[in-house]
Amino acid sequence: MTNVIGTPTRKFSADESRIAGRNNLTGYLVSAIAVFVAALMLAPLVLSFLSSVKTPEQASATPPSYFPTSLSLENYDHVLHFGAGLGTYVGNSLGVAALAIIFSLLLAVPAGFGLARFSIPFKEFLFVVLLMPLMIPYQALLTPLYFMFAKLGLANSLFGLAIVHTILQVPFSVYLMRNAFEAIPRELEEAAVIDGCSTFVSFRRVFLPLVFPAMVTVALFAFIASWNEFLAALIFMNKETSFTVPIMLVSVRIGHFGSVDWGALQAGILISILPCALIYIFLQKYYVSGLLGGAVK
Amino acid sequence: MKLSIRSSAFALALTTSTILGYSAASAADLSMWVRASGAGAAQHLVDLWNTGHADKKIAVTVIPDNQMVTKLATGSQAGDVPDLVSFDLIYMPDFMKAGFLTDLTADLKGDANYASVAEAYKNIATYEGKIYGAGFTPDVSILVWNKDLFKKAGLDPEKGPTTLAEIHADATKIRALGGDTYGYYFSGSCPGCNIFVTSPMMVAAGAKILPAKADDTPLDGDGVKAVLTEMQAMWKEGLVPASAQADNGANFVAAFMSGNVGIEGSGGFLISLLKEKAPNLNFGVTILPGIKEGQQSAFVGGDVVAIPKGSKQADVAKEFIHWELTDEAQLEGLAKNNIIPSRPALADNKYFKAEPRVVVTAKALGVGYVPWVFHFNDMVNSDSSPWIQMLQTAIFDGDVDGAITKARESMKSIVAQ
Repeated sequence: MTNVIGTPTRKFSADESRIAGRNNLTGYLVSAIAVFVAALMLAPLVLSFLSSVKTPEQASATPPSYFPTSLSLENYDHVLHFGAGLGTYVGNSLGVAALAIIFSLLLAVPAGFGLARFSIPFKEFLFVVLLMPLMIPYQALLTPLYFMFAKLGLANSLFGLAIVHTILQVPFSVYLMRNAFEAIPRELEEAAVIDGCSTFVSFRRVFLPLVFPAMVTVALFAFIASWNEFLAALIFMNKETSFTVPIMLVSVRIGHFGSVDWGALQAGILISILPCALIYIFLQKYYVSGLLGGAVK
Repeated sequence: MKLSIRSSAFALALTTSTILGYSAASAADLSMWVRASGAGAAQHLVDLWNTGHADKKIAVTVIPDNQMVTKLATGSQAGDVPDLVSFDLIYMPDFMKAGFLTDLTADLKGDANYASVAEAYKNIATYEGKIYGAGFTPDVSILVWNKDLFKKAGLDPEKGPTTLAEIHADATKIRALGGDTYGYYFSGSCPGCNIFVTSPMMVAAGAKILPAKADDTPLDGDGVKAVLTEMQAMWKEGLVPASAQADNGANFVAAFMSGNVGIEGSGGFLISLLKEKAPNLNFGVTILPGIKEGQQSAFVGGDVVAIPKGSKQADVAKEFIHWELTDEAQLEGLAKNNIIPSRPALADNKYFKAEPRVVVTAKALGVGYVPWVFHFNDMVNSDSSPWIQMLQTAIFDGDVDGAITKARESMKSIVAQ
């Protein structure tokens, strides 16, 4: 491992040429496969986009056509101005997701650290208890939680909803953080102690930077889970102005007897993908750099 | 660690601002939950109310259709309810029985406008002699036909089918145009769509569909078999697109809107929707027929408005219900937007003169029925209900008699619960 990372660039590029540049044919073949796979992955998005700029009439056509005959932004307009306006829903969703990320990190990082680095009585049992919510369908938890939250005055508040999303996300996050802390060599901790670090200081200065990629992963999953969550948001929120994006997306596309407004559906899909894609691209950079900036250089 | 500090700060700022923004929302407004498919119509009425009642404004919250029952039930149990609620009238008996709604008998009995509301709405909102709600945004099922396709197939584009056999004959001619053009359409996996558009044809032919009491016979009368047989024949002859079998309602509107379906059962809501979204579609509207000439029926749908128990501003909410039944609300809020008023006497108004197709829906309201039953969800609306299983077994598998017998038994056992 040390050898590979420490190898000069020249050797690395020689390896590279051995893989892709042995002859042009292999290169083309690899590129062709890559392009094919990328096209396959992109196809639903492209089709979604093409449908979203059709007129509502054309977007509903059965059998559907691939390309729009005339361009129209009517579907986007419909999604933008539905109910309380897209801005309200996006603001709520981002607020709840941000809180869920913060709560998840605040709970999962210390929990993972404790479970990984300290000998606690009945540690494995405690860990299983922490993972238990994963094993129960969360829909079953929502009604009792709602009654409890209503009594506590947390129902119909973004803060309360963020707590629910955190409850749903914490088991997986603890699992992830524990693994990340366990993967750090004991020698590093010992070196920190020898240098005079207290547990807290070594946690902050040695461990945290090392588990940074795992924290980014936790944040990413918390964001995506919270952003997409529909049922809890619907049950816990009672006002149009406090609804999140998924509820609006369901309401905007569903008409009488479950009939679907296909154009609005596609426009909604594209609008709701954007923040997820952006945050993924943004965090991925740190995810990778955190990984390479690892300990044992 | 630059990222975590910066992004955390960003996230915190964002969250705080959102939460602050949320708590700043006005608390004095009345809250009203509306199911999504009735939201457009409800908004017209609420907007009109809000312009005249600046100090008692209503804020509408749109709830997805199939979540309304869950939401209202959990909200009622937790004591967290809106001031007004507008939902599918068919759930009225269950909600009245559960005791979720405020008794409005004393308020509405003396209201002359309430007295002239369509019988179907008064009936569905009355339980043990007490009134719990009023018609709000009415809808009714109708039959629509594509005039352009009728013309192409050599049929009279101005004359819609008046019997089920005529639907079959016209559909055959339209299918003969070939390609992607089909004669008839129905959503084969959508229980709600079919109780709305298929059951009235059975009722028109004299059948009784749902049992109100344990000793009633469900699916009673020859109309049930006659309609299922005719539909099975149309399916077998390929007059209906194959995709109809799996359609859970998603294409209930889209199929006709795309212009290649000749005839379909639909709802009054379709008129304004098509005028807005498919202005070039040339279509006619008629009342759903039965087996013989002159037989007609419709399913009265749409929303009722009620006040949940625990409403914090019940007095203003009652004032709103009185107001929504006045001529002003019925004409300027509903009729002006091509929606039928809940008071049939108002169907003859200046707005409908410009759109005769809406007048047909108003007439349909007069001949329509609405079943006053408990457990409507179990008998009809759920995905595995006896109602939808009967349609699927009869139409797609061809076993009409077996399907009816089986559905009759399951409905009996549900109503006996």
